[in-house]
Amino acid sequence: MDIAEIKNLTKEYPTFRLSDVSFALKKGRITGFIGRNGAGKTTTIKSMLNLVHPDTGEIRYFGMPLAGHEAEIKQRIGYSTGSVSWYPRKKLSTIAAVSKRFYLNWDDDVYQHYMKQFGLDERKTPLELSEGMKVKFTLVLALSHKAEILILDEPTSGLDPFSREELLEIFTMLRDSGTAVFFSTHIVSDLEKCADDILYISHGSIVAAKLKQAFRDAYSQAGETLEDTILRMEKGAAHA
Amino acid sequence: MRDILRKEMTLSASPVTYFFIVFGLMFFLPGYPVLCSVFFVTLGIFKTFQNAREANDLVFSALLPIAKKDVVKGKYLFTCMIELVSFAVMSAVVLLRMTVLKDLAVYRENALMNANLFALGAGLFLFGLFNLIFLGGFFRTAYKFVSFIRYIVAAFAAVIFFEAVHYVPGLGAVNAFGFAHLSLQLGLLIIGALSYLVFTMVSYRYACRSFEKIDL
Repeated sequence: MDIAEIKNLTKEYPTFRLSDVSFALKKGRITGFIGRNGAGKTTTIKSMLNLVHPDTGEIRYFGMPLAGHEAEIKQRIGYSTGSVSWYPRKKLSTIAAVSKRFYLNWDDDVYQHYMKQFGLDERKTPLELSEGMKVKFTLVLALSHKAEILILDEPTSGLDPFSREELLEIFTMLRDSGTAVFFSTHIVSDLEKCADDILYISHGSIVAAKLKQAFRDAYSQAGETLEDTILRMEKGAAHA
Repeated sequence: MRDILRKEMTLSASPVTYFFIVFGLMFFLPGYPVLCSVFFVTLGIFKTFQNAREANDLVFSALLPIAKKDVVKGKYLFTCMIELVSFAVMSAVVLLRMTVLKDLAVYRENALMNANLFALGAGLFLFGLFNLIFLGGFFRTAYKFVSFIRYIVAAFAAVIFFEAVHYVPGLGAVNAFGFAHLSLQLGLLIIGALSYLVFTMVSYRYACRSFEKIDL
Protein backbone atom coordinates (compact mmCIF):
# COMPACT_ATOMS: atom_id res chain seq x y z
CA MET A 1 0.00 0.00 0.00
CA ASP A 2 1.19 3.51 -0.78
CA ILE A 3 1.86 5.65 2.30
CA ALA A 4 0.76 8.78 0.45
CA GLU A 5 -1.13 9.27 -2.79
CA ILE A 6 -1.48 12.63 -4.47
CA LYS A 7 -3.90 12.75 -7.37
CA ASN A 8 -4.56 15.52 -9.90
CA LEU A 9 -3.59 18.38 -7.63
CA THR A 10 -4.31 21.75 -9.22
CA LYS A 11 -3.88 25.21 -7.76
CA GLU A 12 -4.25 28.41 -9.70
CA TYR A 13 -2.47 31.65 -8.69
CA PRO A 14 -2.53 34.88 -10.69
CA THR A 15 0.97 34.22 -12.06
CA PHE A 16 1.43 30.48 -11.49
CA ARG A 17 -0.49 27.27 -11.97
CA LEU A 18 0.15 23.91 -10.32
CA SER A 19 -1.24 21.53 -12.92
CA ASP A 20 -2.55 18.06 -12.36
CA VAL A 21 0.19 16.91 -9.98
CA SER A 22 -0.01 13.19 -9.21
CA PHE A 23 2.41 10.81 -7.51
CA ALA A 24 2.65 8.20 -4.77
CA LEU A 25 5.11 7.64 -1.92
CA LYS A 26 6.05 4.25 -0.55
CA LYS A 27 7.25 2.97 2.81
CA GLY A 28 11.02 2.73 3.28
CA ARG A 29 11.95 4.83 0.26
CA ILE A 30 13.53 8.23 -0.23
CA THR A 31 11.85 10.35 -2.86
CA GLY A 32 13.67 13.45 -4.05
CA PHE A 33 11.37 16.17 -5.32
CA ILE A 34 13.47 18.21 -7.72
CA GLY A 35 12.67 21.41 -9.53
CA ARG A 36 14.00 24.91 -9.90
CA ASN A 37 12.92 27.74 -7.62
CA GLY A 38 9.27 28.58 -8.29
CA ALA A 39 8.53 25.27 -10.02
CA GLY A 40 5.77 24.39 -7.54
CA LYS A 41 7.56 22.26 -4.94
CA THR A 42 6.53 24.30 -1.91
CA THR A 43 2.93 24.68 -3.13
CA THR A 44 2.73 20.90 -3.56
CA ILE A 45 4.19 20.26 -0.10
CA LYS A 46 1.99 22.87 1.56
CA SER A 47 -1.03 21.26 -0.12
CA MET A 48 0.08 17.89 1.24
CA LEU A 49 0.12 19.44 4.73
CA ASN A 50 -3.22 21.23 4.28
CA LEU A 51 -1.56 24.63 4.61
CA VAL A 52 -2.63 25.47 1.06
CA HIS A 53 -6.01 24.55 -0.37
CA PRO A 54 -5.76 23.04 -3.84
CA ASP A 55 -8.51 23.96 -6.29
CA THR A 56 -8.94 20.32 -7.25
CA GLY A 57 -7.28 17.00 -6.48
CA GLU A 58 -7.11 14.40 -3.79
CA ILE A 59 -4.55 13.76 -1.05
CA ARG A 60 -4.59 10.45 0.80
CA TYR A 61 -2.32 9.08 3.51
CA PHE A 62 -2.39 5.49 4.77
CA GLY A 63 -5.45 4.93 2.56
CA MET A 64 -7.40 7.79 4.18
CA PRO A 65 -8.29 11.13 2.57
CA LEU A 66 -6.57 14.09 4.28
CA ALA A 67 -9.88 15.94 4.32
CA GLY A 68 -11.78 14.69 7.33
CA HIS A 69 -8.85 12.74 8.83
CA GLU A 70 -6.35 15.57 9.28
CA ALA A 71 -5.64 15.15 12.98
CA GLU A 72 -5.36 11.36 12.73
CA ILE A 73 -3.02 11.57 9.73
CA LYS A 74 -0.83 14.27 11.26
CA GLN A 75 -0.20 11.97 14.22
CA ARG A 76 1.66 9.73 11.74
CA ILE A 77 3.56 12.25 9.62
CA GLY A 78 6.51 14.52 10.29
CA TYR A 79 7.31 17.70 8.42
CA SER A 80 9.73 20.52 8.00
CA THR A 81 8.82 23.59 6.03
CA GLY A 82 12.18 24.86 4.85
CA SER A 83 14.33 27.10 6.98
CA VAL A 84 11.36 28.57 8.88
CA SER A 85 12.14 28.61 12.56
CA TRP A 86 9.43 28.32 15.17
CA TYR A 87 9.53 30.41 18.31
CA PRO A 88 13.10 31.67 17.79
CA ARG A 89 13.52 32.74 21.41
CA LYS A 90 12.04 29.71 23.16
CA LYS A 91 14.23 26.90 24.42
CA LEU A 92 14.14 23.67 22.41
CA SER A 93 13.12 21.87 25.59
CA THR A 94 10.04 24.13 25.89
CA ILE A 95 9.04 23.62 22.26
CA ALA A 96 9.43 19.86 22.64
CA ALA A 97 7.54 19.78 25.97
CA VAL A 98 4.57 21.55 24.39
CA SER A 99 4.69 19.55 21.14
CA LYS A 100 4.78 16.16 22.81
CA ARG A 101 1.42 16.67 24.47
CA PHE A 102 -0.28 16.56 21.07
CA TYR A 103 1.19 13.22 19.97
CA LEU A 104 -0.18 9.91 21.15
CA ASN A 105 2.98 8.04 20.13
CA TRP A 106 5.53 10.44 21.59
CA ASP A 107 8.49 8.59 23.08
CA ASP A 108 10.79 10.55 25.41
CA ASP A 109 13.55 7.98 25.09
CA VAL A 110 13.53 8.35 21.31
CA TYR A 111 13.56 12.13 21.73
CA GLN A 112 16.59 12.02 24.04
CA HIS A 113 18.31 9.50 21.77
CA TYR A 114 18.06 11.69 18.67
CA MET A 115 18.84 14.93 20.52
CA LYS A 116 22.07 13.28 21.62
CA GLN A 117 22.78 11.70 18.26
CA PHE A 118 22.29 15.01 16.42
CA GLY A 119 24.30 16.95 19.00
CA LEU A 120 21.41 19.24 19.95
CA ASP A 121 21.45 21.08 23.26
CA GLU A 122 17.86 21.51 24.45
CA ARG A 123 18.81 24.59 26.49
CA LYS A 124 19.43 26.45 23.24
CA THR A 125 16.86 28.44 21.29
CA PRO A 126 16.23 28.15 17.52
CA LEU A 127 17.87 31.57 17.19
CA GLU A 128 21.12 30.03 18.41
CA LEU A 129 21.00 27.13 15.94
CA SER A 130 22.51 26.94 12.48
CA GLU A 131 20.16 26.12 9.58
CA GLY A 132 21.31 22.51 9.64
CA MET A 133 20.66 22.18 13.36
CA LYS A 134 17.17 23.67 12.92
CA VAL A 135 16.35 21.00 10.35
CA LYS A 136 17.74 18.35 12.69
CA PHE A 137 15.56 19.59 15.53
CA THR A 138 12.50 19.37 13.25
CA LEU A 139 13.56 15.82 12.47
CA VAL A 140 13.89 15.01 16.17
CA LEU A 141 10.31 16.22 16.78
CA ALA A 142 9.06 14.13 13.87
CA LEU A 143 11.00 11.02 14.86
CA SER A 144 9.99 11.28 18.51
CA HIS A 145 6.36 10.77 17.59
CA LYS A 146 7.39 7.89 15.32
CA ALA A 147 6.36 9.52 12.07
CA GLU A 148 5.97 6.99 9.28
CA ILE A 149 6.61 9.57 6.61
CA LEU A 150 8.74 12.70 6.68
CA ILE A 151 7.79 15.55 4.36
CA LEU A 152 10.59 18.06 4.13
CA ASP A 153 10.65 21.26 2.10
CA GLU A 154 14.21 22.02 0.97
CA PRO A 155 15.87 20.66 4.12
CA THR A 156 19.34 20.91 2.56
CA SER A 157 18.95 24.45 1.28
CA GLY A 158 21.46 26.78 2.93
CA LEU A 159 23.48 23.97 4.49
CA ASP A 160 27.23 23.65 4.09
CA PRO A 161 28.42 20.55 2.21
CA PHE A 162 29.34 18.74 5.42
CA SER A 163 25.97 19.30 7.07
CA ARG A 164 24.21 18.35 3.85
CA GLU A 165 26.15 15.12 3.63
CA GLU A 166 25.33 14.39 7.27
CA LEU A 167 21.63 15.07 6.73
CA LEU A 168 21.47 12.85 3.67
CA GLU A 169 23.09 10.07 5.70
CA ILE A 170 20.35 10.52 8.30
CA PHE A 171 17.73 10.17 5.54
CA THR A 172 19.36 6.92 4.46
CA MET A 173 19.36 5.65 8.04
CA LEU A 174 15.67 6.52 8.40
CA ARG A 175 14.82 4.90 5.08
CA ASP A 176 16.57 1.73 6.25
CA SER A 177 14.40 1.71 9.36
CA GLY A 178 11.25 1.80 7.20
CA THR A 179 10.39 5.51 7.22
CA ALA A 180 9.33 7.11 3.95
CA VAL A 181 11.28 10.31 3.28
CA PHE A 182 9.98 12.88 0.82
CA PHE A 183 12.17 15.93 0.41
CA SER A 184 12.23 18.76 -2.06
CA THR A 185 15.46 20.20 -3.33
CA HIS A 186 16.93 22.16 -6.18
CA ILE A 187 20.33 20.56 -5.64
CA VAL A 188 20.71 17.59 -7.99
CA SER A 189 23.63 16.06 -6.10
CA ASP A 190 21.23 15.46 -3.16
CA LEU A 191 19.35 13.05 -5.40
CA GLU A 192 22.54 11.38 -6.61
CA LYS A 193 23.55 10.69 -3.03
CA CYS A 194 20.46 9.26 -1.44
CA ALA A 195 17.21 9.28 -3.45
CA ASP A 196 15.58 6.03 -4.51
CA ASP A 197 12.91 7.76 -6.56
CA ILE A 198 12.94 11.04 -8.45
CA LEU A 199 9.98 13.31 -8.85
CA TYR A 200 10.79 16.11 -11.27
CA ILE A 201 8.54 19.15 -11.45
CA SER A 202 8.84 21.99 -13.92
CA HIS A 203 6.58 25.01 -14.37
CA GLY A 204 3.94 23.52 -12.08
CA SER A 205 3.71 20.13 -13.81
CA ILE A 206 5.26 16.78 -12.99
CA VAL A 207 7.64 15.91 -15.82
CA ALA A 208 8.83 12.57 -14.43
CA ALA A 209 8.16 10.28 -11.48
CA LYS A 210 10.51 7.32 -11.66
CA LEU A 211 13.07 5.18 -9.86
CA LYS A 212 16.44 6.92 -10.05
CA GLN A 213 17.89 4.37 -12.44
CA ALA A 214 14.76 4.33 -14.58
CA PHE A 215 14.99 8.13 -14.74
CA ARG A 216 18.56 7.88 -16.02
CA ASP A 217 17.60 5.19 -18.52
CA ALA A 218 14.70 7.23 -19.81
CA TYR A 219 16.23 10.69 -20.00
CA SER A 220 20.04 10.69 -19.73
CA GLN A 221 22.18 10.81 -22.82
CA ALA A 222 25.53 9.05 -23.05
CA GLY A 223 28.09 10.45 -20.62
CA GLU A 224 25.61 12.77 -18.90
CA THR A 225 25.42 13.09 -15.14
CA LEU A 226 22.00 13.37 -13.51
CA GLU A 227 22.65 17.09 -13.08
CA ASP A 228 23.43 17.50 -16.79
CA THR A 229 20.25 15.62 -17.67
CA ILE A 230 17.98 17.71 -15.46
CA LEU A 231 19.61 20.97 -16.58
CA ARG A 232 19.11 19.97 -20.22
CA MET A 233 15.50 19.00 -19.57
CA GLU A 234 14.86 22.26 -17.70
CA LYS A 235 16.37 24.31 -20.53
CA GLY A 236 14.24 22.38 -23.01
CA ALA A 237 11.12 23.10 -20.91
CA ALA A 238 12.03 26.79 -20.77
CA HIS A 239 12.36 26.95 -24.57
CA ALA A 240 9.23 24.92 -25.19
CA MET B 1 -8.45 21.89 24.64
CA ARG B 2 -6.12 22.06 27.62
CA ASP B 3 -3.11 21.28 25.44
CA ILE B 4 -3.82 24.01 22.91
CA LEU B 5 -4.37 26.54 25.71
CA ARG B 6 -1.12 25.45 27.34
CA LYS B 7 0.61 25.88 23.97
CA GLU B 8 -0.78 29.42 23.71
CA MET B 9 0.34 30.28 27.22
CA THR B 10 3.81 28.73 26.93
CA LEU B 11 4.89 29.36 23.36
CA SER B 12 2.73 32.06 21.81
CA ALA B 13 2.00 34.53 24.60
CA SER B 14 3.98 37.70 25.06
CA PRO B 15 4.90 38.39 28.72
CA VAL B 16 3.48 41.87 28.13
CA THR B 17 0.00 40.33 27.85
CA TYR B 18 0.21 38.94 31.37
CA PHE B 19 1.72 42.15 32.72
CA PHE B 20 -1.04 44.30 31.20
CA ILE B 21 -3.64 42.48 33.33
CA VAL B 22 -2.41 44.84 36.07
CA PHE B 23 -4.08 47.68 34.16
CA GLY B 24 -7.33 46.34 35.59
CA LEU B 25 -6.27 48.21 38.74
CA MET B 26 -6.76 51.47 36.84
CA PHE B 27 -10.39 51.15 37.96
CA PHE B 28 -9.04 52.67 41.18
CA LEU B 29 -7.98 55.90 39.46
CA PRO B 30 -10.19 58.87 40.23
CA GLY B 31 -10.76 61.44 37.49
CA TYR B 32 -9.54 59.03 34.84
CA PRO B 33 -11.54 57.27 32.10
CA VAL B 34 -11.51 53.84 33.74
CA LEU B 35 -12.57 52.06 30.56
CA CYS B 36 -9.15 52.86 29.10
CA SER B 37 -7.87 50.04 31.32
CA VAL B 38 -9.93 47.63 29.19
CA PHE B 39 -8.24 49.03 26.11
CA PHE B 40 -4.79 48.53 27.68
CA VAL B 41 -5.61 44.89 28.45
CA THR B 42 -6.63 44.33 24.81
CA LEU B 43 -3.44 46.10 23.72
CA GLY B 44 -1.55 43.51 25.76
CA ILE B 45 -3.42 40.70 24.02
CA PHE B 46 -2.65 42.29 20.66
CA LYS B 47 1.04 42.08 21.60
CA THR B 48 0.67 38.29 21.83
CA PHE B 49 -0.73 38.19 18.31
CA GLN B 50 2.25 40.22 17.07
CA ASN B 51 4.58 37.88 18.93
CA ALA B 52 2.86 34.83 17.50
CA ARG B 53 3.05 36.14 13.96
CA GLU B 54 6.78 36.76 14.21
CA ALA B 55 7.31 33.26 15.66
CA ASN B 56 5.38 31.53 12.81
CA ASP B 57 3.02 30.31 15.49
CA LEU B 58 -0.02 29.79 13.28
CA VAL B 59 1.83 27.57 10.80
CA PHE B 60 3.35 25.59 13.68
CA SER B 61 -0.10 25.18 15.21
CA ALA B 62 -1.74 24.26 11.90
CA LEU B 63 0.81 21.47 11.48
CA LEU B 64 0.00 19.92 14.86
CA PRO B 65 -2.32 16.91 14.83
CA ILE B 66 -5.42 18.97 15.53
CA ALA B 67 -8.21 20.37 13.38
CA LYS B 68 -7.65 23.88 12.03
CA LYS B 69 -10.60 25.18 14.02
CA ASP B 70 -8.77 24.09 17.17
CA VAL B 71 -5.96 26.49 16.28
CA VAL B 72 -8.56 29.28 16.28
CA LYS B 73 -10.07 27.91 19.47
CA GLY B 74 -6.66 28.14 21.18
CA LYS B 75 -6.38 31.83 20.37
CA TYR B 76 -9.93 32.53 21.58
CA LEU B 77 -9.43 30.54 24.78
CA PHE B 78 -6.26 32.44 25.56
CA THR B 79 -7.84 35.81 24.76
CA CYS B 80 -10.94 35.09 26.85
CA MET B 81 -8.79 33.83 29.72
CA ILE B 82 -6.81 37.11 29.82
CA GLU B 83 -10.00 39.16 29.46
CA LEU B 84 -11.79 37.32 32.26
CA VAL B 85 -8.82 37.46 34.64
CA SER B 86 -8.59 41.21 33.98
CA PHE B 87 -12.34 41.45 34.47
CA ALA B 88 -11.96 39.72 37.84
CA VAL B 89 -9.34 42.32 38.87
CA MET B 90 -11.66 45.14 37.73
CA SER B 91 -14.59 43.55 39.57
CA ALA B 92 -12.61 43.38 42.81
CA VAL B 93 -11.79 47.08 42.49
CA VAL B 94 -15.41 47.94 41.70
CA LEU B 95 -16.55 46.00 44.76
CA LEU B 96 -14.20 48.06 46.92
CA ARG B 97 -15.38 51.30 45.31
CA MET B 98 -19.02 50.27 45.84
CA THR B 99 -18.45 49.55 49.52
CA VAL B 100 -15.60 50.86 51.65
CA LEU B 101 -14.50 53.56 49.19
CA LYS B 102 -17.91 54.76 48.01
CA ASP B 103 -17.94 58.00 49.94
CA LEU B 104 -14.39 59.12 49.21
CA ALA B 105 -14.45 62.70 47.94
CA VAL B 106 -12.03 61.96 45.08
CA TYR B 107 -14.52 59.45 43.69
CA ARG B 108 -17.63 61.53 44.46
CA GLU B 109 -16.19 64.55 42.62
CA ASN B 110 -15.22 62.47 39.60
CA ALA B 111 -16.50 64.15 36.42
CA LEU B 112 -16.10 60.95 34.45
CA MET B 113 -17.73 57.57 34.73
CA ASN B 114 -17.92 55.99 38.17
CA ALA B 115 -16.41 52.51 38.55
CA ASN B 116 -19.66 50.65 39.17
CA LEU B 117 -21.54 47.64 37.75
CA PHE B 118 -22.42 49.63 34.62
CA ALA B 119 -18.68 50.26 34.09
CA LEU B 120 -18.05 46.51 34.40
CA GLY B 121 -20.80 45.82 31.83
CA ALA B 122 -19.26 48.44 29.54
CA GLY B 123 -15.88 46.75 30.06
CA LEU B 124 -17.32 43.42 28.95
CA PHE B 125 -18.90 45.13 25.95
CA LEU B 126 -15.45 46.50 25.00
CA PHE B 127 -13.82 43.09 25.40
CA GLY B 128 -16.56 41.69 23.17
CA LEU B 129 -15.87 44.44 20.65
CA PHE B 130 -12.20 43.43 20.62
CA ASN B 131 -13.13 39.80 20.00
CA LEU B 132 -15.64 40.72 17.33
CA ILE B 133 -13.60 43.24 15.39
CA PHE B 134 -9.96 42.33 15.97
CA LEU B 135 -10.03 38.57 16.39
CA GLY B 136 -12.71 38.00 13.77
CA GLY B 137 -10.88 40.28 11.34
CA PHE B 138 -7.42 38.84 12.04
CA PHE B 139 -8.34 35.32 10.95
CA ARG B 140 -9.40 36.57 7.52
CA THR B 141 -5.69 36.69 6.63
CA ALA B 142 -3.94 35.42 9.79
CA TYR B 143 -1.23 38.05 9.33
CA LYS B 144 -2.75 41.51 8.75
CA PHE B 145 -3.43 43.74 11.74
CA VAL B 146 -5.70 46.28 10.07
CA SER B 147 -8.61 45.00 12.16
CA PHE B 148 -6.83 46.26 15.27
CA ILE B 149 -7.01 49.81 13.88
CA ARG B 150 -10.74 49.30 13.29
CA TYR B 151 -11.09 48.09 16.86
CA ILE B 152 -9.25 51.15 18.22
CA VAL B 153 -11.66 53.49 16.41
CA ALA B 154 -14.72 51.56 17.60
CA ALA B 155 -13.36 51.18 21.15
CA PHE B 156 -12.64 54.87 21.60
CA ALA B 157 -16.04 55.84 20.25
CA ALA B 158 -17.58 53.40 22.75
CA VAL B 159 -15.40 54.69 25.63
CA ILE B 160 -16.43 58.29 24.92
CA PHE B 161 -20.09 57.22 24.83
CA PHE B 162 -19.92 55.24 28.09
CA GLU B 163 -17.90 57.89 29.92
CA ALA B 164 -20.32 60.67 28.99
CA VAL B 165 -23.71 58.93 28.85
CA HIS B 166 -24.59 59.81 32.46
CA TYR B 167 -24.73 63.49 31.44
CA VAL B 168 -27.71 62.77 29.18
CA PRO B 169 -30.81 64.05 31.02
CA GLY B 170 -32.59 61.17 32.71
CA LEU B 171 -29.62 58.79 32.55
CA GLY B 172 -27.81 59.97 35.68
CA ALA B 173 -28.62 56.66 37.43
CA VAL B 174 -26.09 54.78 35.30
CA ASN B 175 -23.41 56.61 37.27
CA ALA B 176 -24.73 55.35 40.61
CA PHE B 177 -22.53 55.05 43.70
CA GLY B 178 -22.53 52.17 46.14
CA PHE B 179 -25.59 49.95 45.79
CA ALA B 180 -27.92 52.69 44.56
CA HIS B 181 -30.09 51.81 41.53
CA LEU B 182 -28.91 48.24 41.95
CA SER B 183 -31.44 46.59 39.64
CA LEU B 184 -30.59 49.02 36.82
CA GLN B 185 -26.87 48.52 37.45
CA LEU B 186 -27.21 44.73 37.47
CA GLY B 187 -29.30 44.88 34.30
CA LEU B 188 -26.60 46.90 32.55
CA LEU B 189 -23.94 44.44 33.72
CA ILE B 190 -25.98 41.54 32.34
CA ILE B 191 -26.44 43.34 29.02
CA GLY B 192 -22.65 43.85 28.88
CA ALA B 193 -22.07 40.16 29.67
CA LEU B 194 -24.56 39.06 27.03
CA SER B 195 -22.99 41.29 24.38
CA TYR B 196 -19.59 39.81 25.30
CA LEU B 197 -20.94 36.29 24.81
CA VAL B 198 -22.74 37.05 21.56
CA PHE B 199 -19.85 39.06 20.05
CA THR B 200 -17.34 36.34 20.97
CA MET B 201 -19.46 33.46 19.65
CA VAL B 202 -20.24 35.24 16.37
CA SER B 203 -16.61 36.20 15.95
CA TYR B 204 -15.36 32.67 16.76
CA ARG B 205 -17.61 31.05 14.17
CA TYR B 206 -16.62 33.58 11.57
CA ALA B 207 -12.90 33.17 12.40
CA CYS B 208 -13.12 29.34 12.13
CA ARG B 209 -14.70 29.64 8.68
CA SER B 210 -12.13 32.23 7.54
CA PHE B 211 -9.12 30.30 8.85
CA GLU B 212 -10.33 27.12 7.16
CA LYS B 213 -10.33 28.89 3.81
CA ILE B 214 -7.03 30.75 3.83
CA ASP B 215 -3.66 29.51 2.59
CA LEU B 216 -0.79 29.74 5.07
